[in-house]
Amino acid sequence: MKDRRLMLFEVARGTAAILLALLVATIFIFLCSDEPMTALRYLLIGPIIKDSGGFNTMSFYTILAAMIPTIFTGLATCVMFSAGQFNLASEGGAMAGGFVAALCGIYIQMNTGLHAVVCVVIAAIVCGLIMLIPALLKVKLGASEMVTSLMLNYIIMYIVLHFLNYNFADRSKGSTQTYPFAETAQIPALVPGGSKLSWGFVVALVFVVIIALFMYRTRWGYAIRMIGINKSFASYSGMKVGGVIVLSQVIGGLLSGLGGSIEVLGRYTTFLWKELPGYGWTGITIAILAKNNPIFVPFAAFFIAYLNKGCSLMATYSDVPAEMIDIIQAAIFLFFAAEQFLARYRQKIVVRNTQADLAKLETVKGGETQ
Amino acid sequence: MPQNEFVVQMVGITKVYPNGIAANRDVDFNVRGGEIHALMGENGAGKSTLMKMLFGLEQPTEGKIIVNGETVRLTSPTVAISKGIGMVHQHFMLVPSLTVAENIVLGMAPTKGMFIDYKKAVEITEEYSKRYNLLVEPDKRVMDIPVGMKQKVEILKALVRGAKILILDEPTAVLTTQETEELFRELIHLKEQGYTIIFISHKLNEIKQITDRITIMRAGKSMGVYNTAEISKEEISRLMVGRDVVLAVQKDKAEPKETVLQVRGLTYTNEWNKKMLDGVSFSVRQGEILGVAGVEGNGQGELVEMLFNLNRPDAGSATVNGQEIIGMPQDKLRALGVSLIPEDRMTYGIAGAATIEENLISDRIDQKRFNKGPLFNMKAIHAESEQLIKDFAVLCKSHQQKVQMLSGGNIQKVVVAREFSSNPKLIIADQPTRGIDVGATEFIRNKLVELSRAGAAVLLVSADLNEVMELSDSLIVMCGGKIAAYFEDTSTLTDAVMGEYMLGLKSQSDEEIRRVCHEG
Repeated sequence: MKDRRLMLFEVARGTAAILLALLVATIFIFLCSDEPMTALRYLLIGPIIKDSGGFNTMSFYTILAAMIPTIFTGLATCVMFSAGQFNLASEGGAMAGGFVAALCGIYIQMNTGLHAVVCVVIAAIVCGLIMLIPALLKVKLGASEMVTSLMLNYIIMYIVLHFLNYNFADRSKGSTQTYPFAETAQIPALVPGGSKLSWGFVVALVFVVIIALFMYRTRWGYAIRMIGINKSFASYSGMKVGGVIVLSQVIGGLLSGLGGSIEVLGRYTTFLWKELPGYGWTGITIAILAKNNPIFVPFAAFFIAYLNKGCSLMATYSDVPAEMIDIIQAAIFLFFAAEQFLARYRQKIVVRNTQADLAKLETVKGGETQ
Repeated sequence: MPQNEFVVQMVGITKVYPNGIAANRDVDFNVRGGEIHALMGENGAGKSTLMKMLFGLEQPTEGKIIVNGETVRLTSPTVAISKGIGMVHQHFMLVPSLTVAENIVLGMAPTKGMFIDYKKAVEITEEYSKRYNLLVEPDKRVMDIPVGMKQKVEILKALVRGAKILILDEPTAVLTTQETEELFRELIHLKEQGYTIIFISHKLNEIKQITDRITIMRAGKSMGVYNTAEISKEEISRLMVGRDVVLAVQKDKAEPKETVLQVRGLTYTNEWNKKMLDGVSFSVRQGEILGVAGVEGNGQGELVEMLFNLNRPDAGSATVNGQEIIGMPQDKLRALGVSLIPEDRMTYGIAGAATIEENLISDRIDQKRFNKGPLFNMKAIHAESEQLIKDFAVLCKSHQQKVQMLSGGNIQKVVVAREFSSNPKLIIADQPTRGIDVGATEFIRNKLVELSRAGAAVLLVSADLNEVMELSDSLIVMCGGKIAAYFEDTSTLTDAVMGEYMLGLKSQSDEEIRRVCHEG
């Protein structure tokens, strides 16, 4: 019973963090807007309710489409963070994945159906291999994966830009972009219309299930989680700590590569990213919101996508700038990450439980001596 | 201020950590001005927690702290220092690349314009050094000075910051005998100048030598305060370890068979250049329990670390059934049938935030019976964990409960359940019942005997004399990293005899000790 009380407390703490963050956002909106009620309306219900009052299906699909890459980067971050590896390179991974998949889509000739799959698989493998860099540096040399992966993001970005500019650019176009992918490489849309909701969404949900099973129903996922909780315990138990740390980051790379490649092949017809796409950063937010549990990732991704959509609507139709999303995200981060947030109340629960246990123990002892 | 007035009063202190462990329960602790006051107790008795609260590193859950007659809330070490309380930690808090003088003035350095006035820092250091007779070399870098001097630097650091009450956390643990003598002279000198010293230790001799009064703690509670002169060592040890609970373990006579563990010439010097193991050799045979007794810190912990590859020795070998195990990865060790109940169960024994079930299967997840293709066979895992919970009487609501929510005794039962159920050939049990309740203690002791009689070799390391003497078939005593004595038969041994070997007053001849190798 006491465990359930603590778990309920954790859920309540999460909800409170989100509500407080929205409250902070509301305060800012009231401070900087002349039409705060309009702004709030677009932020909170705009994404799914039409101005006329009905349910906005197309906008809803757009939100789902926006979840595709961030579900993957969120899963990638979950796996790596679960192993206690603060690897931030799913950002670069998504970009590299997108670029590799685009090249495969342009320069490999194949049949419809198979082509897209091959592109995505190659992209994922390349990203998995790239992630060996911070992983091996960590295991062999003890270099902080946080620093190396952060650096790696920019190395990947500039390498991609170099090849895009000098080797693969379509000179007939006004902006820097590759030649268009073969039609066989494009991921088909799931619903008609311009929502960009592709079959990638279904793949993303399948991967949520796969990764959840991997983390909670296989010995490798188990080892990843145990190492994240207590490395000394894991190695004393006989787990290969170094190998599992590398594994977790390679899987992180695979997933972020999947995210980037599916996004590029599902949304665009050419590769045209000229900076880091931001999906990796969002993935970190999602992993933190989901408490590293893959099952919660789609919900967190939906929440973030919804907020993003709300913010862009608010920026379009009211006088509040789109940067508000950063304030809301930062506030959620602060409240979520703050261990001490409501800690006093938690400590009260713990003290009460412990004292109840001790009292029980005393009565048991008393009974024995009698 | 009269001599006997209390400078520190801690009243009704209770501390519950966020993981639910009650480290202190209604503890009263009073220190008179100008005395050397010992705070004694076994590891885990709660003495460090109590001192952390006095130094502002932790806040009490209940109770109040009165310093110099004034009730204070010590929210941080800075506040504690401002109240005249200083602490010298067991592991030094110094910056190795800075000089002694720089370390001493760190954070309060005298400045000249924008820069640190280094000359002034040296002057301050020399002034305090002379006044308190704590000789240090101000210009040397801390990384180049010996341990004894580092400790003096720590004490000076506290004094320069105006400390009148000094807390020393096991100050002699890292010192050689000569350094210890020197430290004691300096402490007495400080006491003569009116300073109050709180001395945390569990070494009886040292306590008797320099302290005025003793507060003894056991299992988070205070066992009372005594004048050092009026209490015997035996009485202190009885209060510390609580031998009043005599647990009778039923045990048949051992019938040792082949040698399982053979240790030869293990030698290890630690990072503070102290020789923790000095040519240790012994053997453990099938079906016997070999006890390792000794005052803590005499190499027992290091011995266990070497045998389970948690550390590397400088020299020596250890074999299990003929196979060298020094440097062998833990999965191979476990495949050989070596089990370890680690001394520190929270660090090695469990993953606190994981469930009981996850903690029970950590050494056997690769076994076929728990896997179906790539996936876990959850049915088999649930069955295994439920069986273990039943067999080892772990008190819990379900196998899905987080292990950190259990009491110490039940956490230890989880560790023991895992380590004992893997069909071990050699069990290394390091302090298997430390800090846990009577019921769990009795249970674990009986299991150890049961397994040894069923044919396992058991190496039992324990600072609890009662435990090691009652459970062991034969035992060795460690002192200063060496085996000081070997007793083939424990049934006729007395505490007094053991004590003499443990404290290094006596030691057996090499021939007598060599018998534990069971050669020829």
